[in-house]
Amino acid sequence: MLIGIDVGGTTTDAVLIRNGEVCSTAKVSTEPGNLLNSLVEALDAVSRDIPPEQLERVVFSTTVITNLIAEGKTDRVALVLIPGPGVNPASYTFPDSFCIKGAMDYRGREIDPLDEVEIRKTVGLIRESGFSRAAIISKFGQRNSSHELRVEEIFREDHPGCKLELGHKVSGKLNFPRRIATAMLASATRERYQEFVEKIKKALDERNIRAPVYILKADGGTLPVEKSIEFPVETIFSGPAASTVGALALTPEGQTSVIVDIGGTTTDLALILSGKPLLASKGAKLGGFLTHVRAFAVRSIAVGGDSVIRVKDLSLGTKQMTVGPDRAGPAYCMGGKETTPTDALKFLGLIEVGNPERASEAIKVTASELGKSETETASLIVDGVAQMITDAVNEMFFEWEQEPAYRVWEVLQEKKARPENVVGIGGGAKGLIAEIAKKLNANPVIPEYAEVGNAIGAAVARPTLTLNLHIDTEQKMYSVAEEGEIVSLSTTKFGNLNKVRLDEAEALAAELLRKRAEDFGISKYADEAEIVNSEVFNVVNGWYTSGKLFDVSMQIPAGLIPEWKRREKA
Amino acid sequence: MKLGLGRLRDVLKTGSGTTPSEGEKEQAEGQSKIEPEEARKTKIEGTKPETPNGNEEIIMELKKTGLEPKKEPSLPADRTGAEKTGLIFFPAFDWAISPTHPEREERLLYTRDQIFEEGLMDLPEIAEYKPRLAEYRDIARVHFCVPDIKAQATTPHLIAAGSCLVLGDALMKAEVKNAFALIRPPGHHAMTVAHGNRGFCNINNEAILVEYLRKKYGIRRIAIVDTDVHHGDGTQEIFYNDPDVLFISFHQDGRTLYPGSGFINELGGPKALGRTINIPLPPGTPDEGILYVLDSLVLPILKDFEPELVLNSAGQDNHYTDPLANMRFSAQGYAKLNEKLAPDMAVLEGGYAIQSALPYVNTGIILAMAGLDYSCVKEPDFKPGMFVQAARDRKTLEEVVAAQLENWKNRDRLVEAEVAKHGDFYRRKKQIFYDTDMIQEFQEETIRMCPDCQGYKTIDSHAHRGVDDTRIFGISVPIYACEKCQAEAREEYRKRLIHPGYEYVYLQDKKQDEYRAYNTRTKKETVY
Repeated sequence: MLIGIDVGGTTTDAVLIRNGEVCSTAKVSTEPGNLLNSLVEALDAVSRDIPPEQLERVVFSTTVITNLIAEGKTDRVALVLIPGPGVNPASYTFPDSFCIKGAMDYRGREIDPLDEVEIRKTVGLIRESGFSRAAIISKFGQRNSSHELRVEEIFREDHPGCKLELGHKVSGKLNFPRRIATAMLASATRERYQEFVEKIKKALDERNIRAPVYILKADGGTLPVEKSIEFPVETIFSGPAASTVGALALTPEGQTSVIVDIGGTTTDLALILSGKPLLASKGAKLGGFLTHVRAFAVRSIAVGGDSVIRVKDLSLGTKQMTVGPDRAGPAYCMGGKETTPTDALKFLGLIEVGNPERASEAIKVTASELGKSETETASLIVDGVAQMITDAVNEMFFEWEQEPAYRVWEVLQEKKARPENVVGIGGGAKGLIAEIAKKLNANPVIPEYAEVGNAIGAAVARPTLTLNLHIDTEQKMYSVAEEGEIVSLSTTKFGNLNKVRLDEAEALAAELLRKRAEDFGISKYADEAEIVNSEVFNVVNGWYTSGKLFDVSMQIPAGLIPEWKRREKA
Repeated sequence: MKLGLGRLRDVLKTGSGTTPSEGEKEQAEGQSKIEPEEARKTKIEGTKPETPNGNEEIIMELKKTGLEPKKEPSLPADRTGAEKTGLIFFPAFDWAISPTHPEREERLLYTRDQIFEEGLMDLPEIAEYKPRLAEYRDIARVHFCVPDIKAQATTPHLIAAGSCLVLGDALMKAEVKNAFALIRPPGHHAMTVAHGNRGFCNINNEAILVEYLRKKYGIRRIAIVDTDVHHGDGTQEIFYNDPDVLFISFHQDGRTLYPGSGFINELGGPKALGRTINIPLPPGTPDEGILYVLDSLVLPILKDFEPELVLNSAGQDNHYTDPLANMRFSAQGYAKLNEKLAPDMAVLEGGYAIQSALPYVNTGIILAMAGLDYSCVKEPDFKPGMFVQAARDRKTLEEVVAAQLENWKNRDRLVEAEVAKHGDFYRRKKQIFYDTDMIQEFQEETIRMCPDCQGYKTIDSHAHRGVDDTRIFGISVPIYACEKCQAEAREEYRKRLIHPGYEYVYLQDKKQDEYRAYNTRTKKETVY
């Protein structure tokens, strides 16, 4: 049996799945101050009568990191930056930065050595300023980590208690500022996140639950909870990721869908293209900083079931109706004070919840302000909200089509897709889905268990894994971006380095991915790995080829565990 | 795309065997038959490399019927509020002239690493755009491609040119304040007639951009400043007789470097004298010398000319580490040059020090265009003050600047005197060498000395490629030509079609935005 729990901002949802079918569900209010309580409460609600030994897997998604960052409850981190030539580091907006001398180039060749005296002085300053955490990030540190490692050594000698984060271990992708932000946030949240994980483990222990426990990442993949302490920031935005995987689980295979999760204040959108959730082309933005965290392309717009409807007087006697962006408590028909889209939906009989008399009352007030009939007014509200959401969906598709292309084949590839389904997930405003689908000329789909789709997503998500291999045969080394180690090519099966072929490079990537999957305890998914991109460049010096550069990117994409039985007739 | 059988037959009928005048008639009928959208789609398909040959013919013919109705140009938007720098980075990682050729896949690889690692694409001051394919008619607006456009403009060329057009549109719509097309393959050595590749170029990206913007947005006066180390002979040739396009090129002295031209006496055709300004630089010229030329000559002339748009053919091979040239320009120098020149749009040309220069030069240029601090951009081995200009070179430059300022000041008098020397036509003979493709071309160019406009141009071109000889004839009607010149030119085209000496005859009517190529062997005419 599988358990999935999504700790959201308003409610915590849980499901129990038996033999690939939803067996029971639960919904409890989230206590903002104590996410752990909410999580445990929801867990107990679905697992109460189940012998703990029958549980095979527990997966949860949580807003804990997102909340820590939003509320500023993070720890101070000293940033030791080795920027080298390029953008003036004075233009960065990172707090507590200390820039030091030293530089690597794009091939990982040292172009400027470190200054040991300066480093010791900087470390001393950091110690005296009371920092107990530091992140060391060098530009092109992923191509040669020796500067970061040397600074780490000096920290160990001069400031031994300091907890250290190294840029090349956080991400091997190109983008120094994003690597700084990701390292900084990882360091700033790790301890509190670790405490949270300990508490969860304790709670599960008390309930004799010995099943493996996973946490959902922003890219829709699961990560063993112990392992997740290494990567705390990857757990941000796991709520929308849970909803997206849930929608994937609840719709037919291989289709193109837009996932619409209408909440009280906001509506979250995500895309599934031909059965694959769309990842953002770049990492997520977190606490005002762009990061390297891989996440689904999710768009949040400031309109929801409880958005306040207002009528404004424009010049020349015309009137304009606005929706949101704020929420002033619940909808009028649910006991609130203002007219909302929910009242319009209730008035038109498109939803079941709410008091019909109060809905009429609310619409009447707005209709008289607007000078139109009540039915007309309610329709205008529903149409307006549906249009705002539809516009955002179209914009998402447009942005996806307009993503930059760096190769001839990418430009030639026709990126054109339109949704076949508009899938409503979450509890809110079901009546709107049909309107949006009509505007997008797609099928409205409200799957069974849509209100706990997020928890189902958590329960049935499979692990994801990426591996970016960079080989430089001239320098006789390779590196895996995710691991940060720089390894000599003599450890590989390559014979003559001048004659390495792309398929051999790809084979090395596959072998490394298998090993990495083993480390993560997810070997059984290694066969799902696919090559995302692979290319080779000749390094030419003068007029002869002196080496080759290979870049191979592989991934185990987001998907569903085989235990889940997808319903083809959702 | 689905083609009904009937339509296919129509299309084929329109094609081979008809005389051009009949073709014209067919075209008018066809226009009502085929939806513009469908025509557009066929164009995209036509540029795909995998399109089989047989299909290509049909598609080409279809395009004939897809001519858009003549549209009034839209006006460029006011750019005062625009804040961003538009950027297309198209490194064409899957295209090379040959594996060890300087123009190969790897050329912008380290530049990619540097600008991505710097996070430049994330900056709020930068807007990254997606490349697109230029259409065949965009190429035909500038070139006579032999034997046809497909042979000269392969897919990567169409994307490089198309990238310029995307940014040109963004600029005209005021989405961006300026733009940088960091693209390859380059184009500034490609001339009006394209028999093959010369100086790594097949089609001229800047010229295609200029004619596109003039047609679409109705702008007229444009300045092109070519800062590549090689003389921009292709761009110069294309606009040599156009008084509305100011072409300024500074480059390593032609006596010491390919293509061996760009001397100060190359000042433009009779009616455009002084609108071509060449500044040959002594080998070894450092930042100081180039910035001197910029301050004392280029900027004053630009100010005087008052162009609606300034384009920069931004070659990066003046760099002190470039393997193909001998100059001493630095990344800081490039950034400063860009900041001072402040072009509306820069288009990458050459630059082959792919590791030691390009990553730093491009970072510097992008930061400078976006108005950001570039003071920390420097090559690993660069030391301030490492290159000093020789006194003798400085004096040479002063003389060149003085001479060119004089030419610029007297340009209208020079035109008057020159025009008086010629009758109804001005003729000149030229030889053009294609280094990459080893072709020797002989040309006779004729300009109608029209009192009302710049006059139409004809080119009789004879190319020797080993034992293969090709002779073509092309007629070009300028966008702002008078109606008399246009009629005369079109008549000339009709007359040349039956001339036995030519394999291909071209009509480039920029006024009408209509482009024709006629194969005298197959008697087939293609209209773009």
